Amino acid sequence: MSERLVFDGVSKIYPPWEMHQRSLKHLIPRMLSHRSRPEPRYALRDVSFSLGSGQMAGLIGANGAGKSTLLRLASGVARPTHGRIRLSPNTASVLTLGDLFDFKLSGRDNAITAAIAAGVPRRRAIEQVGEAAAFAEIEEFIDAPLRTYSDGMRLRLAFGVLTQLDPDVLLLDEVLAVGDLRFQQRCMDFVTERRRRGTTVVVASHSLEQVVQECDRAVWLHRGEVRGVGPAESVVAAYRRAAKEETARRTDPSKLPDGLLEAGVNRYGSFEIVIEGVELIGRDATPVTDIVTGDSLEVRMRLRRTAPEGAKHPIVGVTIVRADDGVVCYDTSTESNGVHVGSADDGRTLRLVFDRLDLLPGAYHVDVGVYEPNWEYAYDYHWQAYPLRVTGASPDSGVFRPPHRWVAD
Amino acid sequence: MALPPREFAGLVLHLARRELAATHEGTFIGWAWPVFRQLAQLGVLVFVFGSVLDLGIENFAVFVFTGLIAWTWFASGVTAATSSVIANRHLVFQPRLPTIVLPLVAIAVPFVDVLFALPIVIGMLVVTGELSWQIATWPAIMLLQFVLMAGIAWITASTSVYARDIPGLVSVVLTMLFYLTPVFYGLRAVPDEYEWVLNLNPLTTLVTAYRAVMVGEPGPSMSLVGALTLVSIAVAYAGWRIFRRLERGLVDHL
Repeated sequence: MSERLVFDGVSKIYPPWEMHQRSLKHLIPRMLSHRSRPEPRYALRDVSFSLGSGQMAGLIGANGAGKSTLLRLASGVARPTHGRIRLSPNTASVLTLGDLFDFKLSGRDNAITAAIAAGVPRRRAIEQVGEAAAFAEIEEFIDAPLRTYSDGMRLRLAFGVLTQLDPDVLLLDEVLAVGDLRFQQRCMDFVTERRRRGTTVVVASHSLEQVVQECDRAVWLHRGEVRGVGPAESVVAAYRRAAKEETARRTDPSKLPDGLLEAGVNRYGSFEIVIEGVELIGRDATPVTDIVTGDSLEVRMRLRRTAPEGAKHPIVGVTIVRADDGVVCYDTSTESNGVHVGSADDGRTLRLVFDRLDLLPGAYHVDVGVYEPNWEYAYDYHWQAYPLRVTGASPDSGVFRPPHRWVAD
Repeated sequence: MALPPREFAGLVLHLARRELAATHEGTFIGWAWPVFRQLAQLGVLVFVFGSVLDLGIENFAVFVFTGLIAWTWFASGVTAATSSVIANRHLVFQPRLPTIVLPLVAIAVPFVDVLFALPIVIGMLVVTGELSWQIATWPAIMLLQFVLMAGIAWITASTSVYARDIPGLVSVVLTMLFYLTPVFYGLRAVPDEYEWVLNLNPLTTLVTAYRAVMVGEPGPSMSLVGALTLVSIAVAYAGWRIFRRLERGLVDHL
């Protein structure tokens, strides 16, 4: 297995001045004096890893951890300040392909330009535009101006263009998390097929689940430095452990806004966003602690922002855990379900509705949490605070009881 | 990054075509716009300097137009090229796309105006009876102008990214240069003691050369043409080197 992408002690320092200072008034004094320079900003510091052909690496870390900078360096458009990068000149990156699109022009024109910009000879780009449109399933709209496209269609078109390329290294940025599930699956199939042919893939992802499922390697960046690199599962596990520790570290009992819960005991988080008024609503639309197997259940909560800024687009998760042995019976989140909890939802009630909850009789806890968008730590996590008793006559054993019947033919 | 010359030229043409298509999309007169724009400016100049302040130049319309075409191409090309890297951020971020083509695209786009104006000029020359075989050397002067513009474009486009004052500076210089280039007047009308000032401007030699081959005005001296050729090549080479040098840091400053 040959090495396709190698970072060797790579650091990237961005110029310390800001955008508005980029005029001669600021530039000339800066050229003349070397003294009053502000501190350099390290976007990446001493990053090393290497990826072989056919490997797929997930890039994880909070916003601002350096993921975009790393991808930009890996694509070759930017150069490192220190260190060495070995990359293939035949690198394709979908991060920026869609940015090229001109809304005034047709899908066809845009697809051709994007392909040419990605290194496809013009003639071939024109010939293959049909295939790109077919992959994107937008053949009938290909000659319509791009402004008439939905976001999803534009994204599909960008990915359609990508399928025409045969790069040594493919850089993806979160793209697989957008679009409908079926299309995501087709993109994934394409990526898998290219990997089989030896393409190395790097994907920046917020979804830890996706990284574990799809990638064989992971690179965890934290404030520009590599915190972990190696097999995806172990890196993600370490990331999750760190998130737990980070949450504990940020849990400050004095900031606790609610008397029912006790910080550090059954409540953890930074409390930048807090969960309030959690209620389990039963079949008759009133709060319950007991339900019968197969009843409906609604988990209702209110999110409130306490931090003046930041803490946007949080993830909300709900877990049902069996009290006796801690078995996770069900775990879901707004992220895994593709639901966006915007900052506009501040003060609004969020409801998770189970039309049927077919848990077997027993004692359970409903744990709720609201998390930093990268699962870096919890804003607020209520642990074993909401008991749920499921009753019923079923003598079956296990965790859940799907509706069923026996049939003898 | 090293693209074969054919691919390189194809890329420039494709991007220029795309930009033209985007510019004319949704307009009513579409491709007639470049022609309309130039004729409108020509009309005003002919009215002001042909009638209001009569400069006494024979066949004034065609005289002005020959200079105006070259000037318009230069001014709009250099203006567009100066912000070509800043404005095309997304193209700069494409790993396989050589950024150095962007200023050339910006020059190629207004060249279309030249192509549209050419039949009009020839038509005018036929009417005034000034058309001669010398017009065949016209493409050579165009090539010289292109080389000069490319050099300037590479310099202004790349430095603009680092110092955002450059586009403002370029526009001031171009405004001044319009009056310091014999577009609506002839070099003959210039007092001898100031002629050298105008000759410092390479566009003076270019415009005079265009006029020499088109309307039979006295052409620039061979030494001026030689100097222009050397200057153009030197500027283009310097521009290429400067762009290559600054290219590495472009994305960090965009």
